[in-house]
Amino acid sequence: MTMIDSPPATAQATAVSSPAAAGLYDFLATTDHKRIGRIWLTAGVFALIGAVVLGVLLGLERLDSGGLDIFAGENPHFQIWALYRFGLALLVVAPLFIGLATVIVPMQVGSTNIAFPRAALAAAWGFLIGAGILVVAVAAGGGWGAVDRATPRELDSIALTLVGMGLVVVSILLASLCLATTVVSLRVKGMTLLRTPLFAWSMLVTSAVWLLTLPILLANLAIAYVDLRGGPGTFTGGVDGSTAIFTQLEWLVEQPQVYSFAIPALGILGSIVAVSAGVRPSRHGLSLGLIGFFGLLSIGGWSQPFFQFDPGANVAYDEKFVFIAFGLLAIVPVLASFAPVADSLARGRDNLGGSPPAHLLGALAGALLLSVGAAAGVARVIEPFRLGGRITVSGVMNLVLLGAVVSAVAGIWFWSAKIGGRTLSPLMGRLAILDLVGGALLLGGAQAISGFLETSDDPRVPVVEDAADILSIVSLVGAVLVALGALGVLAAIVSALRSGRTTEADPWGGHTLEWATATPPPAGNFAEAPGLVMSEAPLLDAREQTSAEGEDS
Amino acid sequence: MTMPTTGLPSAEVTRPRTVLVGTMFASAASMMVFFGVLLVYITERAQARALHRDWFPEGRIELGPSGFVFATLILSIFTVRWAVQAINNDDRPNTFVALGLSGLFGAAVFNQLWFILNDVGFALAGGTGQFMFFMVNGTFIVFMIAAVAFIFLTFLRGLIGHFGPQKAESVAAAAFYWNTVVTMWFIAWYVIYVTK
Repeated sequence: MTMIDSPPATAQATAVSSPAAAGLYDFLATTDHKRIGRIWLTAGVFALIGAVVLGVLLGLERLDSGGLDIFAGENPHFQIWALYRFGLALLVVAPLFIGLATVIVPMQVGSTNIAFPRAALAAAWGFLIGAGILVVAVAAGGGWGAVDRATPRELDSIALTLVGMGLVVVSILLASLCLATTVVSLRVKGMTLLRTPLFAWSMLVTSAVWLLTLPILLANLAIAYVDLRGGPGTFTGGVDGSTAIFTQLEWLVEQPQVYSFAIPALGILGSIVAVSAGVRPSRHGLSLGLIGFFGLLSIGGWSQPFFQFDPGANVAYDEKFVFIAFGLLAIVPVLASFAPVADSLARGRDNLGGSPPAHLLGALAGALLLSVGAAAGVARVIEPFRLGGRITVSGVMNLVLLGAVVSAVAGIWFWSAKIGGRTLSPLMGRLAILDLVGGALLLGGAQAISGFLETSDDPRVPVVEDAADILSIVSLVGAVLVALGALGVLAAIVSALRSGRTTEADPWGGHTLEWATATPPPAGNFAEAPGLVMSEAPLLDAREQTSAEGEDS
Repeated sequence: MTMPTTGLPSAEVTRPRTVLVGTMFASAASMMVFFGVLLVYITERAQARALHRDWFPEGRIELGPSGFVFATLILSIFTVRWAVQAINNDDRPNTFVALGLSGLFGAAVFNQLWFILNDVGFALAGGTGQFMFFMVNGTFIVFMIAAVAFIFLTFLRGLIGHFGPQKAESVAAAAFYWNTVVTMWFIAWYVIYVTK
C-alpha cells in the first residue's frame, strides 16, 4: 500500500484551483481527502437511516417477545438484532467519524492532503463493498450463527457475513492508519502534539485504539471463518443451534470497547465549545490528557471469554478486576471533560446568544449521552446488581453509540462549510438533535433500567416482570424518536444541497487552521502556507495580533 | 471571512517520514492480529490441559525444521539491516544485494513452512489443537507474504531510481515491517514448537 502512493503532501502551500468535476472516473479515483471523506459521510448517514429503522422494528418485536411476529422466526430476529448492534458501531458511528476526520483533520493540522490518499480512497470503497456484502449476506439468511438448523445456503451466507464484516474492519483499519499518520507526520511547523486541535487529537487516539483492538476482531473473524469452512467446529458451535460466532465477536459492542467509538465525541465537544463561546480553549493540555485516558480505558480486545487464562477458576471474564476497574474508571475522563467546557462557557457567556446553535447543542448533548452511558456502564460492572447478560448491556451500547451519533451530527453542522460549502439549517439541526437525544435517552435509559428487572439481553427470552413491558414501550418510543431525528438530519442535508447556497469561509470565528481555507476548500486546501503555529488556537492568535497592531497604529 | 495568517513566519518544510510512520501503525495492527490468534491458541491449550485432554498427538511437532526457519529469519535480520545501512551510504549495489537476499530468505521460509505443514500430518478438522496450529502458522504466512511483497516492491522502486541517501525511508520502512514479522515467528516458535 505504502509503496504505490504518491509522495506525501507536506505543509507547503500548494493550493491549486479546484478542478471541475471530471465525471465518473474522477469520482471513483479522486485522491482529494474532502471527496473521500464525503463518501464515508454519505455511507454513514444512509446506514444511520437503516439502523434506526431496524431499531424501531426490534422495539416493536420486544413488545411481545413471545410472539416474534415481525421477523417470522427466532433466527431472523436474532440476526437482525445482531446486525443492529454491529451495524450501529461499524456501519454508522465509525464511518461518520472517519468521514468527518478525513475531511477536517488534514486541514486542522495544516496539511494539503491526507497521508496515503490512495489507501484512504481504497478504504472508502472497500468499506462500501464490505458493508454491502454484510447486509446482503444477512438478508440472504446469514448472520452470526444459526439459532435453528442451518441449510447449506444459510451456511454460505454466514460465511459471507464474516467476509463482509472482515472487509469492513480492514477498511476501517486502513482509514485509521491514514488518519493517524496524518496527525503524527503532516502537522504544520510549530504544531506540537500538545498544540494539536482537540478533534484531530481525539481521532489520533481513536485511530490508535482501533489499530490495536480491531485487528483482534479480525483474528476472531478469521478463526470463525476457517472453522466454519473446514475446522472442527470449536468456535462456531457446529453452527446449528448455536450463536457461538456472535459470542466470539460481541465484545466489540460491549464495554469497554464500545467506548472507543465515542472518543471523538470528547474532541468535538472541546473544539465546538471554545469557538461557540468565543474564548481561548480552557486547559487544552488537560483536555488532551483526558481524551487519551478515555482512549486507554476503551481498549477492550482482551475482554472476551476466548481469552480466559484460568479455566479452572470458574470466574466469568466480566467479574474480573480489570474489567470492573475499566468500567468504573471510564466515567471519570468523560465527566472531567466537562470542567474545561464549563470554564469556557462561563468565560464566554457574553458571546453566547439566546438559543444555542445546533452544533453547540449537539456537542453538549452527545457528551451528556456518553456520560449517561458511562454511568450505566458503572452500574453494569457493580457485581451485586448482576447486570451481565441483561438488557442493560444494550442500554449502555445504545446510549454510548447514539451519543457518538449526536456528536458526529454536531460536527457535521459545525464543519458543514468545509465539508460541502454549505451551512445547514440551524432550526432543523436543533430539532433533529433534540429528537435524537430524547430518543436515545428513552431507548437506552429504559433498557438500562429494565436490566434491573432481570430482563435478558437475549431478544428471544421473554421479559420476567410486567414493569419491563412498560419499559419496552418507552424504549420503542425512544427508537421512533431516534428514527425521526435521523430522518431530520437527512432532510436538512438534502435541503442544504438543493439550496445551492455557499457560505462564508469562517462563519463561526474558528480557532484552528481549517477555518483559514476558502469555502468550499480548494484542492490543496490552503491558498498560502499556514504560518508558524504558536498555540492550539492559531487563528485566534492571528486575530489577536491583528487587533493589537490595529490598536498600536 | 478568511483569517489572515500571512503575518506569521512561513512554515518550514520538514521531512515528514510518512511511510515509516504509516508502516509502524501497520506493524502494530499486524502484530495485534497475530496476538489475537495466538491468545486463542494459548487459551484453548490451557483449557485442554486443565481438562487433561491431548492437545497435539505425541511426537508430531519436531523442533528441528522450525529451528531452521528461526535461523533463516535470524540471518534475514542482518540482511535487511545491511540494506538500510547501504542505502544510507548511497551504496545502491549493496542495497540491491541485501534486499535480494532478504527476499530469498523469505522464499526459503515459505519452503520450510510448507515442509513443516506437510510433515506434521495434521488435519484442519482434526481437533482444536490441530486447527489452531494451522491458524497460527497460516496467520504468520499471510504476514510473511506481505513482508516479502514489501521488500520486493522496495527493490523494484530502487531499481527505477526512487531511492538515495536522502530518500531511504521506504527501505527503512520495509526493514521495520520485516523485523515485525520476524518477531511474530520468534513468539510463535516458542509457543507452538518449544512449549507445544
